[in-house]
Amino acid sequence: MFRLMLATALAALPLAASAQEITVGAANMAAYLDPGRDHSNVGSQFYYNSFDTLIDRDHTKLAPEWEPALATSWELIEPTIMELKLRENVKFHNGDAMTADDVIFSLNRMMQATFPPYVVRAKDRLANFPMAEKVDEHTIRIRANREEPLWETLISLQQVMIIPEAYTKALTGDPLVAEDSDFEAFALAPVGTGPYRIETFQPGESLVWERFDNFWGDKAPLERVNVVQISETASRLTALKTGEADIITNIAPDQLSLIDKDKNLKTAGSATALFHVMIMNQNHPKLEDPRIRQAMSLAIDRDALNEALWLGKGVVPSTHTMAEMGALHQPDLVTFEYDPERAKALLKEAGYDGFEITFDTAPSYYTNGLLAAQAIMEMWAAVGLNGKVVVGDKWTGNSPDLMARNWSNPMYFADPFGSFGVMWAPDGPSQSEGRFNTDADYAQKWERFRYSTDLEERKVAYAELMERVKENPAVLPLYRPFESWGMKNAINWAPMPGHIPYVLDFRAGSITLTDS
Amino acid sequence: MIPYLARVVVKSVVTLFAIFTVTFIATRLSGNPIDTFLGEGLTTEGREELIRYFQLDASLWQQYLAFLRGAMSGEFGLSFIDRRPVTQVVGDRLWASGQLLLASVGLTVLVAIPLGVLGAIYRKSWVGSAVMMIAFAGYAMPSFILSILMVLTFSYWLNWLPVVGNSTLLHFIMPTIAMSGVLVAALTRFTRNAMLDALGQDFIRTARAKGLRESRVVLRHGLGNAGVTVISVIGLQVAGLAAAGSVVVENIFSWPGIGQLLVNSALERDYPVLQFGVITVAIAVVVINAITDIAYAFADPRIRLAHS
Amino acid sequence: MVQLADPIMRLSKRKANQTNFIQKTAIAIAILLFASAFFAPLIVPFDPLDQSLLSRLRPPLGFERFAVGHWAGTDELGRDVLSRALHGMRLTLSLAFAGAVIGLLIGGTLGLIAGLRQGWAEDAIMSLVDMQIAIPFTLVALLILSLMGSSLTVLVMVLGIAGWEQYARIVRAEVRRLSALPFIEAAWTAGAGPIYIAWRHVLPNLISPLVVQFTLALSNIVILESTLSFLGLGVQPPQPSLGSMVGLGRDYMPTAPWIVLVPAALIMALTFSVQILGDWLRDRADVRLRDR
Repeated sequence: MFRLMLATALAALPLAASAQEITVGAANMAAYLDPGRDHSNVGSQFYYNSFDTLIDRDHTKLAPEWEPALATSWELIEPTIMELKLRENVKFHNGDAMTADDVIFSLNRMMQATFPPYVVRAKDRLANFPMAEKVDEHTIRIRANREEPLWETLISLQQVMIIPEAYTKALTGDPLVAEDSDFEAFALAPVGTGPYRIETFQPGESLVWERFDNFWGDKAPLERVNVVQISETASRLTALKTGEADIITNIAPDQLSLIDKDKNLKTAGSATALFHVMIMNQNHPKLEDPRIRQAMSLAIDRDALNEALWLGKGVVPSTHTMAEMGALHQPDLVTFEYDPERAKALLKEAGYDGFEITFDTAPSYYTNGLLAAQAIMEMWAAVGLNGKVVVGDKWTGNSPDLMARNWSNPMYFADPFGSFGVMWAPDGPSQSEGRFNTDADYAQKWERFRYSTDLEERKVAYAELMERVKENPAVLPLYRPFESWGMKNAINWAPMPGHIPYVLDFRAGSITLTDS
Repeated sequence: MIPYLARVVVKSVVTLFAIFTVTFIATRLSGNPIDTFLGEGLTTEGREELIRYFQLDASLWQQYLAFLRGAMSGEFGLSFIDRRPVTQVVGDRLWASGQLLLASVGLTVLVAIPLGVLGAIYRKSWVGSAVMMIAFAGYAMPSFILSILMVLTFSYWLNWLPVVGNSTLLHFIMPTIAMSGVLVAALTRFTRNAMLDALGQDFIRTARAKGLRESRVVLRHGLGNAGVTVISVIGLQVAGLAAAGSVVVENIFSWPGIGQLLVNSALERDYPVLQFGVITVAIAVVVINAITDIAYAFADPRIRLAHS
Repeated sequence: MVQLADPIMRLSKRKANQTNFIQKTAIAIAILLFASAFFAPLIVPFDPLDQSLLSRLRPPLGFERFAVGHWAGTDELGRDVLSRALHGMRLTLSLAFAGAVIGLLIGGTLGLIAGLRQGWAEDAIMSLVDMQIAIPFTLVALLILSLMGSSLTVLVMVLGIAGWEQYARIVRAEVRRLSALPFIEAAWTAGAGPIYIAWRHVLPNLISPLVVQFTLALSNIVILESTLSFLGLGVQPPQPSLGSMVGLGRDYMPTAPWIVLVPAALIMALTFSVQILGDWLRDRADVRLRDR
């Protein structure tokens, strides 16, 4: 019996590699695949292989270098109008040729959204773009309300990837009208123009990519890719060891040694372009005094958390900034510090009487999230703060009873607007959930930061915003988590610095298999 | 007999209706999906927009009536998360759970009945004690511990067995054993005791006196008579224990079945999936119970006669 | 619904008063476990919540990188595994006792009513019992906890209703058996009220079957609680319970198996020894638990 098992297991191994077919064991599989409505860390793994944007960038480089994709050239014909020339002979996975109408449909499904999930997504990042319009069969224009400093960045968002119009409209109901149910059906049978066609998709379970032979660019290096959800870390490791999987995602630093010890396996990783943050409710009656929130922040030794939970591989920021933001990366600003003595003094000044401060966390949503929460309670205790972890799956960020909790601020696109800007804009999600306040002064600073076309002006305005955050804290970025992927030695793949977090880029030049 | 059958059927229907209504009310009172899976980083208007979109702004009573109307026509709604019809979401997973259940029941019967018979025949020797120790151990060992110990040994240390999903026969080994642990313990005990009861009866003595071979006495007369009890145990206990065990086992082995689906949809407040999942499981349990009741009634002359 | 006999199980067919070696060992283990849970705050070397981020994931005595004092190693936050396990067992046992008592109170009361007052009250109660038997309770518990959120109060209530039907059946059967006996009839004719009869005549006869059932229920509730906590629906961190230690330690199984093995071993020792203890009590009391 046992010999049989081994024989079966071993027989399965070499086949996979030689046929240019690999299996990915992913911690999470998306419940739907629609680049427009999705902005989760789960979904962002998958879109880049199957969909294209009009403008792309060189993902091997940290600083943006824009590259033509479905648009071959683009220029601003007025400060608020961009004109783009479309690539010819582009085919969708279902065989349809891409037309200017498909592009307009894709852009306007977001820019003039009626499907509620699109409305929600477009509002926080595409609000400056009222519409796209067709000029001729190979030319389109995108309009902006105001002068836009981030044209290329925003036109290369995952949310405005191009999908086929006729196919989508025909999915349900009237084949000439885009109903909400069409978009829902699309998310289960997605079609794009990218190098891999989605052959099968079982929501929350698995996905199979197949090389798309009519791709307009360089041919995909892999014939087939099977992605299987394996939610348990330990199970993913086993799957890699037994050969069930060739690549596994989301390996915490604690487990790295186990893979590195095995001479047939290796790891690749990077500090993800995402902050795990602690948020604090400015409007909780007991936390109204900013000194208490400052103390909650100053008490946390983020370097110790990084050393212990991420083996020092994470990145602890001095302010809400990331190297990926290029010219707007401002590591010299010091907004967040560890100073337990000052924390104690502030608590004393504020007359803190030892009331309990709750810290909410989901049990397993963020890697090491629960551990960090428990460690933070110890650090709070050291300065006299009486903290208590509350574990639950409920999102409490909109509750008036919220005191503090963990959250993440991903970099949705490479600009401070794509990270801090989305989450902490005036009337943005944080304010509208009632835990963050802004005033005219903040709004004015935010406007300058968001829309000024002068780079220096944007930097100055951002620094001023950080000063406001420091005075009256509502957020503390803890660290950029270090995420790793484990894989067989025969696979040459690594996350690339020019991507948003978690993208599994298997396009030409991004992955190769060594025949062993 | 007919009134008895009618009573079983009416009772099953009433139970199902009660289970469904309770599930409906409990889910609605416990919060909504926008507070969990969709809530992160939404503006207040965005939140309201989505609540309207998912038709969660109607009153509880309206939602309940809408559901009943849908259920009448076989429409149980769309999942909030992946927007597929729940019948499909649940249907996709039914067979995986069914396979695991059948495999476990098969293994249980194969192991437990011989053990139980042995335990009864050799009740005074060490064999009987060993059988009872196995039964005790099976009861005392929660299925998650059995699973974890197997995974640790056979997967992490020895790398022999796969741990994720149900794609090959090898994948069945550990989940089936894990599910069967408690069932084997239960069925062994029942078989042993039913055999002891049967072997103590007069007709066994008669059979022995007639000079029949001992093996024939035990198997034909003893097990034949104990069989009625054993069948009802498989029906009743096994269905219940398996439904419960599958949640744990499916969770550990990422088995794409109903158990895993139920817990996830409850955590995410995906009401339509949860409701339909609960209804499916409830129907399965109630039907198995009803069949067991009826089979038992047919097999047992006392019930058959008493009710006719 | 068909009522199935749950026939008695005995480890040996020797005289009930004799205690064999396995039983003696099991009882000794049970006493040891109960005592270490009860005295956990006095005997454990560390506070179960005390973290030490610099000595995370240290192995138990006898392995490389052992941290002095942490006999069973440390967990992912550098907390002492042995201290957590014993405190966890203490919590697990307290919950099990509370749950078993609630079950006893609910089931006992309902069983008494069903036994004394025949008619619709009995019918209603016995249909509830049937329903409870028919529904896989672990599943119900899972749903209740995931919907209502898991607080200790909800958890105790869930554990309490987990086994009430067994008590109800025992009490009802015993009450009915006793009612038919001459001395009860004599008491009725002598003008005694139902409460007096229940207290004076029925209760003393119920004590031993209930003690046996209580012990067996204890072991079942320990399993239920561990399972729920394992799935993350029971006791919530940082508070340790045996089940949640196994559940949360799962991610570290390949690198630090002791985090999982120590609490797992305690759960098994606990349920196994308590089961045998219950069986032994049943032999001693020489009662036959009937289900009809």
